[in-house]
Parts: sequence; C-alpha cells; structure tokens
Amino acid sequence: MSNVVAQQTEEVEPEVDLAKANQVIDKYIDLPGNLMPVLQGVQDAYGYVPRKVADHVAERLNVYPSQIYGVLTFYAQFHLKPRGRFIIRVCVGTACHVQGAQRIKETFFNLLGIGHTETSADLRFTFEEVACLGACGMAPLAMVNNDTYGKMTVQKVDEIVAKYSTIPLN
Amino acid sequence: MVNLIINDKPVTAPKDSTIYDAAKINGIKIPILCHDKKLKPFGACRMCLVEVEQMKGRQIPACTTPITEGMIIQTATPDIIKARKLVLELLLLNHPLDCPVCDKGGDCDLQNLTYEYQVNSNRFVDSKFQHKIDYNNPLIERDMNRCVLCGKCVRICDQIVGYGALTFIDRGIETKIGCEFEDGLNCEFCGSCVSVCPVGSLLARPFKNKARFWALTKHSSVCGYCGTGCNLTLGVKDNKVLTTIYDENQGFHKGQLCARGRFGYQFINSEKRLMTPLVRKNGNLVEATWEEALEIVTARLRGGTSVAALATARLTNEELSLFKKLMIENVGSKNIDHSGGYAHSALTEGFTRSFGTTAAPSTILDIQKSDYLLVVKTDAYETHPVIGFEINLAVKNNGVKLTILSDKRGKLSKLPDARTAVHVPGSEVAVLNAICKSILDQKLISATAASIPGFAQLESALAAYTPEAVASQSGLTAAEINQIAIDYASAAKALILFPTGLAYAGHNAELASAVANLALLTGKVGSEGCGVLCMNEKNNSQGAVDMGFYAQEDGLNALKILDACTSGAVKTLFIAGENPLASYPNSAKVKSALDAVECLIVSDLFLTETAARADVVLPACSYAEKEGTFTSTDRRVQYIKPAIKKIGKSRTDFEIFSSLIVALGGAAPASPAAEFAAISAVTPGYAGMTHTGLGVEGCFAPVEVKPAFVVPQSAATPVEAGKLALVTGSVLYHNGTLSQHGEGPMFVCPDAYIEMSRADARNKTIIEDDLVTVSSPSGTLQLKAKITPRMPEGVVFIPYHFPAAPVNKVWSGSAVTMVTVAK
Repeated sequence: MSNVVAQQTEEVEPEVDLAKANQVIDKYIDLPGNLMPVLQGVQDAYGYVPRKVADHVAERLNVYPSQIYGVLTFYAQFHLKPRGRFIIRVCVGTACHVQGAQRIKETFFNLLGIGHTETSADLRFTFEEVACLGACGMAPLAMVNNDTYGKMTVQKVDEIVAKYSTIPLN
Repeated sequence: MVNLIINDKPVTAPKDSTIYDAAKINGIKIPILCHDKKLKPFGACRMCLVEVEQMKGRQIPACTTPITEGMIIQTATPDIIKARKLVLELLLLNHPLDCPVCDKGGDCDLQNLTYEYQVNSNRFVDSKFQHKIDYNNPLIERDMNRCVLCGKCVRICDQIVGYGALTFIDRGIETKIGCEFEDGLNCEFCGSCVSVCPVGSLLARPFKNKARFWALTKHSSVCGYCGTGCNLTLGVKDNKVLTTIYDENQGFHKGQLCARGRFGYQFINSEKRLMTPLVRKNGNLVEATWEEALEIVTARLRGGTSVAALATARLTNEELSLFKKLMIENVGSKNIDHSGGYAHSALTEGFTRSFGTTAAPSTILDIQKSDYLLVVKTDAYETHPVIGFEINLAVKNNGVKLTILSDKRGKLSKLPDARTAVHVPGSEVAVLNAICKSILDQKLISATAASIPGFAQLESALAAYTPEAVASQSGLTAAEINQIAIDYASAAKALILFPTGLAYAGHNAELASAVANLALLTGKVGSEGCGVLCMNEKNNSQGAVDMGFYAQEDGLNALKILDACTSGAVKTLFIAGENPLASYPNSAKVKSALDAVECLIVSDLFLTETAARADVVLPACSYAEKEGTFTSTDRRVQYIKPAIKKIGKSRTDFEIFSSLIVALGGAAPASPAAEFAAISAVTPGYAGMTHTGLGVEGCFAPVEVKPAFVVPQSAATPVEAGKLALVTGSVLYHNGTLSQHGEGPMFVCPDAYIEMSRADARNKTIIEDDLVTVSSPSGTLQLKAKITPRMPEGVVFIPYHFPAAPVNKVWSGSAVTMVTVAK
C-alpha cells in the first residue's frame, strides 16, 4: 500500500507452490463460510500454513489477510511454522505426571535436542507436551502421529526415536 | 415508540433502540468503552451492565440488548456499581498506569471512568503486558500494552473503512490487536482507529508530546482538501493547529475522516509558509512591504483586457466573488478561470446542457438512501475517501448494489457482490451511450422520458451505439452492458457518481451529459436516492462555479489565457492559489506561457513552482485563518471562521482583493458577511442564506433541474501497438498539490509512481520499485514502478500531485495519452 512496507523486515520464507492451495480453494470456493475448510485443507496440503499461502487465500476468498491471521492464531489446530514429519506428543496430565512423565519428556528433549512445540532442523520431529490424551490407564503415555505408546519407560523412548529415525522422510 | 421505565422514570424510545440508546436519548448516562454510534454493538467491555426487572434482575449489557415494551431498567444499583468497579480493576490489572506521559490523558475513557468510579486501589496483582510498541509508521503508534480489547479499531476498519488492517490475534489472556503475521501497521492511515480508541493504545504520532489535551482550544471547521465538505475540529494551542479532534456527532460523516483530512493539517503552520510579500528585483525575489507590492500590482491591473486571472477553487465563495468583481468591474477583463478551464466543465457545460443548471442534482446523503449505485471513472474512494465510506456503508449495511464502471479496479471493487466493469480507457462515454441504447431497446424507459426535449435526436444518435458495436471498442461484452442497463433501470432508486478534477481531463462535459441521459431516460432524477452526483476535486469547486468564476461570454478560459500569455495578448496574469506548472497538463507549454507573460502576480501560501517565477508574490492565508463559506460538491454551503491568527504578515485573499478594489477606485465590502449578503442576493439557490443562518451543519443550495437530452460525443480511444494507455488521477492520500505540505499524506505517499498490471510488468521484465522511463510526444519522465493486481493489461496509472515528478510532462490533457514504458 505504501512506502512503509520497505521499513519492515521481510522474513525469508521458502518458495511455496501455490498450485496445491488453488486446488483446495477451487474445491470450496462456492461454499458459504469456506474459510475454515480452506485453511484446514491448505494445512493438510503443506503441513502448516505458510504466509504466502495465507495471503493467497486472502486474495482469492476476498477476506482481509488480518482476519485470516486472527483465525489461524485463535485455533490451536493451525500451525504457522513447518512441522516435523512425526509429531511426538507426551502427556503431562495428572496420571502421567505421577507416573514419571517429566523423565520421559526430558529424555525426548535430550535425545532430539528440541523442546516443547519445537521442530528438529531436518523437519523429522516436532515435540509437544499435552495435557491429557484420554488414556490415563496407560500412563505414562506418548503418541507419535497416530500411534500410541503406553507404559512408557526411558528405554522405550530410545526405541521410539530409533524406529522413527530410520523411516525415510519422503 | 416503545414505553419503558429507566431508573424509575417513564421514558419512550424508538422501537429499534438498545437499552444503551434508549437511556442516552433520555439523558441517562451509562458508562461504556466499546461503543461508537457508527459501529454495530459488540458487548466487549462489560461496563454498560444494567439490571432489567423482567430478566430476574440479572446484569445484562445495555449496548447489545434491544428494548421491549414495559421494560423496567435500573442503571446504577449498588450491585451494578460494584460490578463496574470490578471490571475497571481487572482492566487496570494489566494496563500500565503511565497516564502522566500518555497523550490520551484527559481524553481517556478508562481514565475518566476510573476517576468517576473511584477505583483507588486494586485487589488483584498481576504483571503488566510486555507487548512491543509498533513504531513502524510515522502516523499511528500502536501500544497494545494499554489496550482494553474493546475492538472498536478492528470494527471501524472493517465496517466503515473496509480495509481490515486490524484483527484480534491469539485468544484468552493472550489476545491482542494486531495486523497479519504481527506486522507493523501498513494501511491507508485514515486514522479512524485512532479516533475511536478509548485509551492510549492508538495515538496520532504527529501530535505526540505536542500538548496536553486540555490545553487545546477546539475550533470546528470544514476540511480544506476535497469537495466532500467534511467537518472537522482543529485542536489549537499557541496559534498552532496541532491536531484534528474526533467528534462522533460532527457532520453527515459523523466525524469520519480520511488520511489527508486527519493527518494533513500541517500545511497551516508549515515553516515554509510565505511570511511577507516578495517582489522581483534584478532577477531575484526579495522581501517587500505590502504597500510596495500592492502598488506594483495596482499599476499592472490597469491593463484592461490584457489582464487575466486564475484562481484556485480552494478560495472561499466571498473571495472568489470579490476576485471576479475586481477583474470585471475594476480591471475591466473577463479573462477569469480556475482549474485548467476544464475540470469544471462537467458542471458548466455538461449539466448546463442536460439539467439547465451548473450543479449536480443529488447529494451525498442520497448514497445511503439509494438501491443501486453506478460509479464511473474511479471507484470514488481514491478521490473522495469519505464518500467511499458512505458507499461502503450503503453496500454493507443497506444491501445497496454497486457497479463500478472504470478503466481500473479499485478498493470498492472488493465489496460484497460489487460488480466492476473494466473498460478500455477513454471509452466510458461510449459505454454509457450503449447502456442508454440498451435501455431504449429493452423498453425500460420511464413514461415521461419521451416528452423531454431532445428525445428524438438522442434516439436516432444512439443508433450507432448498440451494445454489440460498443463492446468491441470498450473491451466489455454486450451482455455486460445489457446487464448494467437492466440493473440500473430496474432499481427503484439509482444514483450515478463520477469525479471531476484537474487529473480527470478529456471529456468531462460529455461524460456529464451521458450520465444525465441515463438518469433522465429512466426517470431517476429529482427524487430521494436517485440522480447524479458529480464529485468535485477541491473543497470549493462547486462554489467557484456558483460564483461564476470561469470564462463566460467573450472571456478567455484557463488554457486560452496561457496561450494568450505566450502570444503576448495577455500581459499581466494574476494567479491566486493555483499552481498551473504542477497541475495543468503539458507543463512545457505552461512554462513557456509563464515565461512569456510580462508580469506574473501570485498569491499563495507557499513559494510554489509557479510562484517562484512570479514578479510579485503575495502571502495568502489558509482556511484556518479566514472567515467565509465553502460550497461542497453536493452544494452544502458551510461557514468557517478563523481558528488561528494570520501567520506572519500574510493576508487573506479577501483582504488582498479588497485593497486592490479600493486602490483601483472601487468600493470594497466591509466584511466577508457583507460580501456573502451580495452573493445570496444574486446566486441561484443561495437566496436567504446568511453566515449566521448557515449554522453548524450548513445549508443545501437547492438545484432546479430543467431536463434536456443532449447527444454526448464519444471519442475513439487511440490504439498504438507497443504503447500503453496512460490514465492520471488522484491517489488516496493526496488532493491537488496542497497535500504535499501535509506531513501525513507525504509520509504515506511521498512520490509519484507508475502503476501497472502484473502482465505488463512481466512482458517488460519490470519488477516492483524499478526505475522506468515513461515517454510521450510531449516529454519524458522517470518513475518508480508499482505492480498491482487492479490495473488491466495495457493501462498504466500515474498520480498527478507531485511537481517533483510532473506527470504533466508526458500527459497531454486528453482522456488517454499513449506512452511507451521501458526500463
């Protein structure tokens, strides 16, 4: 809009191919209230919502870019940074806590070198601590994507990391 | 009306009121932070809690609850006061208590309510916010630490401005207001968010640390930029205009202003203002006394018809009327004009032929009362932003249909269901003729149309303008043209808007006749929400026409005056406030005219490019220093009085013309009021108006329409291979050349640029900010490229305001100039 843009530091974002976003938008373009399905769709397609995609969605859906950002930050389900291929979730809820979730968590931290909500540089792992996974009988509990690992021990952490480290990324 | 009882007092209120509204109109104050009467209720702040007996005494927000018959409401029970105190305690928990250094101090709703409710201590403890303050732009400071999350800024930017720069980010305790991806603010900088902010979160940076709010004296005035005629309140201290102050009750626009109105006032107290008269001696302009300067001017004005005058349409009606008297009665010359002699031709030629009057028959108030708006040439927003707000509101709130007929897209093109017909530049008259033809063919004309003079001639002339024939030259399809015809004709109420101005040359008179035909054919003139509104460029463009300050009978018009300067027929040129070198087309020609004329007299606020070439320069006053009237584009006559004392030795143009009339042996009026009495005696529509009678809101000068059909001539748009069509115009932040002395407009848009489509940029391998060379037969110009999705392929746009990058070097003054663009 103006010269002010020049003063803002531009964050370098990798080039994204908008073709996948266009496919999602085309699918929902005539649906009233299509912003949520479109954002969920593009997140599925890219693994997160890159800024360029958010801006493109804004232009095509004729929604303010600010409004899209408001939605993206309101819901925990949306991610604005690239996420790992494997999302490790460790429960730190009450039942898991008393069963030693802290040590499980710290072992993951030490092995992967990443903390809560962080992603490894090779985009293999993202680590998240969560409040409850709803399976307290299996405490302490961890999940990798949709696989559940109950009665976790420090040794099992080693095995899990080793298992998912050998799977090819693509 | 609904009957209810508030605080044991029986009252009535309109059916669609909320409890808050009902209390307010009955003089009962309910405290609130998140309410503005222009915005939809939101219910965010919980300060307006009241008890309603029928709702079992629960505390409910007054601002979102509609009233019902027989409601019994208590607004200030001990429980409610306790709840409000709690709300304030919670707000103050995270809000920094830096009131002594906050510019909002004294004007802060939170501060005032804390005082009123005596919240002396806080029962809670928590840390203060640590948000980074946004200093990214020079106009608006955003300090989210002070924010109370009332959402007024978010809502006004969406609901009225239609830009949507701000949003709620994150959720719960972490919620804050911000832009996408936490960027700094980068918007139109109209400052609407600043105006409604109840606390010191959004502040006008040009006013920062300038004065405490209570030290300002407030003077209501009328904005001196465009023809919309917005009212504003100037905040003055020590004879300096330091800010504009928001008042939600001011004017038809309810205090809403644009970037130049709100942030463009600095020219008034600019250090570059001329402080004393200047006279050219030995080739240099040197300081002189008023006596010396006026003596030279008086001697030169004794030249009869070899004297000519150009005035800016920013002078008051009184000044223009007096200048005309000076020229015709005391000098003896009819060579007077303004705005290039063409910017007003829609009124003086087009409407004179079609409506038998020199004014548009509709008012800005018709916009919201209409059902269908046809906006021609621009989207109205970039020339007249506050009219743009009205259109935005009409479309969003009233479901008014909007069609934009323009050579480029605009911001309003994005409005819900807005239709934009992008045509080949310069073909708008042909398209409008085709719409008329389509209406005739589809028998959509009104019953009375055939009895209007000229109907038969129009009908036969339009035979050449079938939608199919016009489709090929305009780039639209016949179906699009037919659809506009059907939409327009079938709407119960329809209004057409189009701009005039120095940058919109070409065929304004023809355009005015073309839209007039359309309105007359369908009978859409003379009733509420119907008609034609011509949006004039300057704050008193309509007044200049009403005062007759343009070439009539055997007088020369502006462009002919300049020709006569070159040929030697005009020996003395008196320019009051106009800057032809920057704003008239073909600057090489203007320059040679100004060089050739024997004596050039300029009265202006600044030493403009034109004034720098003058033999005598007279320092004039801004609107904040004078008394008089301005006539807005819809003929609302508004009174202004001085907000500050005159700067330096400057004099108002009224005083200058009065002195000259006396020096030439005439009799000058005693005051602007006396001159206005003379004006109202002779000017159609002004009868009975007096300065005191105009009041706060001003008065509309009625327009009497004597309709006639005129055949508008459409010129074929030249097509030259490899060249691009240059259109000029106004850019959102600027108006004329005056806005260059306003900090706000210059911060946001400091330079001219060339705007082009993505396709053209790709073809010429031009990227954003590349320096490109634009050339036409009349000259060459270098400009930065700006690539936007709104431009169609083959069309480029250059704003005209900037003498440093004069578009008029390459622009011929016709509707379209073909140019070559290269890196």
